[in-house]
Amino acid sequence: MLAYVARRLALAVGTVFAAVLITFLLVHAGQGSPGAVKAGAGASAAEIAQANHELGWDRALWVQFADTIGHLIRLDFGTSLIDGRDLGHDLFTRLPVTGSIALLATLLSGVVGVVLGVTAAVRGGRVAQSINSGAGVALSLPAFWVGILFVYVLSLQLGWLPATGYVPFADDPVGWITSLLIPILTLAVGGAAMIARTAAVGMREALQQEHIRTLRAMGTPTWRIRYVHALRYASVPVVSVLGIQFIALFGGSVIIENLFALPGLGQTSQIAAAGHDFPALISVVVVATAVVVLTNLLLDLVVAALDPKVRTA
Amino acid sequence: MSVQPVTDVSSVAGSEVATEPVPPVARRSRVPGFLRRPGGVFGAAWLAFVLAASVTASLWRPYEVDQQDLANRLALPSGTHWLGTDALGRDILSRIFTAGSLPLLASVLMLVVAFGLGLPLALVAAERGRRVEGVISRVTETLMALPLIILLLAVIGAIGNKLYAVMAILGVLISAAVYRVLLGVAKSVRQRLYVDAARVNGLGSLRVNLLHVLPSMARVAAVQAAQLFGIGLLMVAGLAFLGFGPGEPQPSWGFMIQDASTHIYDAPWLMVPTGLILAITVVAANELADAIAGKGKDEKRRPLRRRRVVASSEAPPADPTAVLEVRDLCVAVDDGPQLVTGVSFSLRAGQVLGLVGESGCGKTMTARSLLGLLPGGVSVSGGSILWQGRELVGMSDPQLNAVRGREIAMISQEPMVALDPMFSIAYQLIQPIRRLRGVGRAEARTIAAELLGQVGIVDAQRVLSSYPHQLSGGMAQRVCIALALTGEPELLVADEPTTALDVTVQAEILSLLRSLVRDTGLSVVIVSHDLGVVADICDEVVVMYAGEVAESGTAAAVLDDPAHPYTMALLGANPHVPEGEPVPLRLASIPGTVPPPGSWPTGCRFATRCRFAREQCTVPFVSLAAHGDGSVRCIRVEELARHHATWDAEAVGAETAPDAMPDARPDATVEPAPTAGALS
Amino acid sequence: MTTAPVGATTLPAVAPAPVLEVRDLVVRYGSGRKARNAPPAVDGVSFDIAPGETLGVVGESGSGKSTIGKAVLGLQPPSAGTIRLHGQDITSMSLKQRSRLVADLRVVFQDPYSSLNPARTIGQTLVEPLRLMGLRGAEALQKARAGLESVGLPGDAVDRYPAQFSGGQRQRIAIARALVCDPKVVVLDEPVSALDLSTQAQVLNLLADLRDQRGLAFMFIAHDLGVVRFLAQRSLVLYRGQVMETGPVESVNSRSRHPYTVALTAAAPVPRPAEQAARRAAREALGVGTAGAAQPAATGCPFVPRCPLATDVCVEQRPPLRLVDGTLTACHHAERVPAL
Repeated sequence: MLAYVARRLALAVGTVFAAVLITFLLVHAGQGSPGAVKAGAGASAAEIAQANHELGWDRALWVQFADTIGHLIRLDFGTSLIDGRDLGHDLFTRLPVTGSIALLATLLSGVVGVVLGVTAAVRGGRVAQSINSGAGVALSLPAFWVGILFVYVLSLQLGWLPATGYVPFADDPVGWITSLLIPILTLAVGGAAMIARTAAVGMREALQQEHIRTLRAMGTPTWRIRYVHALRYASVPVVSVLGIQFIALFGGSVIIENLFALPGLGQTSQIAAAGHDFPALISVVVVATAVVVLTNLLLDLVVAALDPKVRTA
Repeated sequence: MSVQPVTDVSSVAGSEVATEPVPPVARRSRVPGFLRRPGGVFGAAWLAFVLAASVTASLWRPYEVDQQDLANRLALPSGTHWLGTDALGRDILSRIFTAGSLPLLASVLMLVVAFGLGLPLALVAAERGRRVEGVISRVTETLMALPLIILLLAVIGAIGNKLYAVMAILGVLISAAVYRVLLGVAKSVRQRLYVDAARVNGLGSLRVNLLHVLPSMARVAAVQAAQLFGIGLLMVAGLAFLGFGPGEPQPSWGFMIQDASTHIYDAPWLMVPTGLILAITVVAANELADAIAGKGKDEKRRPLRRRRVVASSEAPPADPTAVLEVRDLCVAVDDGPQLVTGVSFSLRAGQVLGLVGESGCGKTMTARSLLGLLPGGVSVSGGSILWQGRELVGMSDPQLNAVRGREIAMISQEPMVALDPMFSIAYQLIQPIRRLRGVGRAEARTIAAELLGQVGIVDAQRVLSSYPHQLSGGMAQRVCIALALTGEPELLVADEPTTALDVTVQAEILSLLRSLVRDTGLSVVIVSHDLGVVADICDEVVVMYAGEVAESGTAAAVLDDPAHPYTMALLGANPHVPEGEPVPLRLASIPGTVPPPGSWPTGCRFATRCRFAREQCTVPFVSLAAHGDGSVRCIRVEELARHHATWDAEAVGAETAPDAMPDARPDATVEPAPTAGALS
Repeated sequence: MTTAPVGATTLPAVAPAPVLEVRDLVVRYGSGRKARNAPPAVDGVSFDIAPGETLGVVGESGSGKSTIGKAVLGLQPPSAGTIRLHGQDITSMSLKQRSRLVADLRVVFQDPYSSLNPARTIGQTLVEPLRLMGLRGAEALQKARAGLESVGLPGDAVDRYPAQFSGGQRQRIAIARALVCDPKVVVLDEPVSALDLSTQAQVLNLLADLRDQRGLAFMFIAHDLGVVRFLAQRSLVLYRGQVMETGPVESVNSRSRHPYTVALTAAAPVPRPAEQAARRAAREALGVGTAGAAQPAATGCPFVPRCPLATDVCVEQRPPLRLVDGTLTACHHAERVPAL
């Protein structure tokens, strides 16, 4: 098991490295240069060259890459080309916003999805069909459009929740959660649909297993067959999909943060992309990749804990 | 690969139509399966419509995309602007369909890249084995762990706002997911024996993949492509929403929604048309995927209400010493054919009764109905099952639950899958012991260890702490027997308990069952297709053919002196001969196969395959007549017995005659023929 | 009943040259340290098959019998040993090379459902090997029809798909596919195990007829001694990848000199209650241990943990095959093996 974790950790480091490399190469493959960004619009070629020289852009490629990696290992993310802010500090304040949206949306979609999926599998018939079709539609709706709908209904028509904006947790916990509620709901629509389908398929498959017949032949009560044995069997795929959901929601928060004006990672990556702010781009990619990789690692450990076949291997 | 014949259930599902002679050519419908489902028709039609309308938009659109109608800004739908106008008074309809071709074509490009990379990699990895697969899989795992949208933003930040290039890069990233799914399919297809057979034939790697592997992957690939197409659409729209689409005044779906979101206060209608078109297009892609996958077909089955049969159980049991009395039992698919008709037998305490016959003869259905555990859509349609004087037919599930485990227990064919893989053996034994015997946890654990000892497991503690996948087949079957004994039942229903096991392990399990019968007075109903197993353990035998009893009686009488031609034929077909006796040059065989439920002949059901059949055999209805201690369902039984008829092997070489439906042969001889393998 | 010369397996070739010779075959699955430490799936197996002869390869699950078949067919690369067909070394030839040089090694698999491609007609399936041999169009189709007729199916079955046939019929089609290009050796990998009794008898009779008519040599892999006894002249008994005993099928069955063979024979039930009771008593008197009780030592005889006759020498030394009473047996105590 320990060797397994060590191998996964090595793979995780490799993945982050690969992400940096890809972004680095992309940055250097593009026509733009950081000097052009830093010097601002209307700068002369000489000014751009000067800025590039100051940033070390004219050094050999591998030297620059080694330099980038060296800084990243020391957790030094550098400063923004546009406004000169400290990127490390910037990420540190933005990560909790994106993280809490993704985590809460994952939890919400997990609860709703499992309830719906299990209901579909157990009840069957028309109930299952309507849950399945509903999930199909929910999966197809673009999140940013759903978000606008929620704002229109919950905020403009009913006036229950604020439309946009973010209140830090430290300032006002209640304000914090109400400011996040619409974004979370928006993300949870697709997430819950995905989980519901996985849970329904998993439960249905579980209930058809031979060992379920053994339990029935022993006169085991139905609730125990369903909610202890079948649910446990279905839990492995559901947990895997929950992890994938978290990753998808973490990445998907770019659009939601833009829509609801939330100061998260997504917002900064959008600004960085629009402004060709290369250090900011690399730092966001590194942090996001690290989150994804760590989630995957955690997921593997949870699956191993759930499935004796993996655990005892 | 398991070694046992197809079980009875599969014939219920109608998975195989086995009729003799070979059925006529079934014309393969030209219409693909997914187009016969409403979702598939809708999905394909809508996608075709949107694509056609978008590509041709410049030919038919009522307004130019940048044509401003300043008098009609933010207008609701009207005769002049069918879907209204935006803040600059531009026609929404014209803009939506002009915008359509970009996301559609970019998504197609993404698919082409993703499959162009993922599919060949999956085929290579599946073919070249573990090492190559390991390398490719590492790379794809890394790709899959990258945060897609953020990386795409980085791409845009680096190379600028070039949508097709960005979507092609997305295709590269997504190819990892394509590879992962298709690798699983390719590996499972490559395990199919026809691939090996083609390789043995000398077919080259490319042709093996093209002819045998790829066609079987087509469906999964199509499903995935349709789903990814939807994701691609959402991705393009999302990027445009963030401002990374075609620049104004060129329209894009994402930016039109972004624009709508800024007018949510003064013109909420604006978000309806674009959002709906986008959503419906993605729904269409997903519906198409579902239809290709064939979903929605099997979900309708369940709600058919089970027939509740009121059993006619007034008559006292014929045999007062019988614990189990089955009378005229009928089992049928709900609204479908009968699977078992008029089966009767009785069992005394401490006796072992064997239900024997080939696949599709209804023996498993008969055994399962004793516990009320018929598969979904199948139920008892008549007759009675008297267990210790109580009628089991028509009992509700809770009533049956009081009988299951406590009075009647069951062990099944596949011990390896009969135990819950997620729980330890200890949990699986202790839980029913506590429930059925009403003892505490510690005492239950002691009892569990005792039970394991009773079924011949020496290191009970180690087995208790292990999980099912850590046990061998024989060990797992012993645990299953221990589990069945937790409620101290009086009847054990064993459905092919040794079929999946090796022959030496089978002998051990049979010995164990015999000693349990001897020591605890347990009664057993055992289902088997193996006459040797029946000879080993059974006191009584019921030979079943096509859902009914062909012959029954004591094991010695039926096996040593069979009266029904089917029993004779089964014995003649058995290659097992005691050592020292000569092995036959050819085995007796029965032409054709067991007719599937629903197409049983009206007269004697065996008549079409019976070499002793005469005209009178095709007349309905052959009743089960008493014969010796047992009974035989054959109109000619007395005549055959008088002539010492035997079902002998055909002459050497006779077997290669074309396999056609043999007619009832009126001229068939009943004279005994001195051929090897004769049993008289 | 024809019986091959006693001990034909390893003695210098007696009469006709064998069509298939396997020497010291070793097959290991997987790679890496773990696989190297695990006992090989096939561990030093040698045998010959003469023209027209049927060798029954018998063993329980995990004995390596199917792996031997795969190695002979070239589907699983051997780790050591040689395989010769008509005297030609084919051990390390690719499947494509094999098909070009010697088109006469074919196979019939156990599972009639997965051994035919459901998307291709019977005709396409049968024509495929003929195409590779250079036969074209109508000629190939004619041969495919004839092939179907020779296994007792109507020739017009070529237009149909596998789903329309029963298990027994599919197995006939699989046999037709194996025989359509007139091979000399056919590997039969449990060809009747998935079939019902009456169908099994049809297919066994068919195989016996085809062998007699065409002089085919079969390598017949089975777990069922009774079936092997019906079809084979010689049998090879495997346990954990090693040969326990080999010789004429009647000697191996009735006068076995190996405790594992005796246990295997005694465990197969016969459908006559009185005789079966006697066999059962005899089997229980043997005192053979439960399967999978303990792992055998790597050095000695693999059957030691279950063997009633085992002594120290059995743990320390792997018994070589030696000729005792007409069979080659790998047992230090062959002379003390009780008769059944």
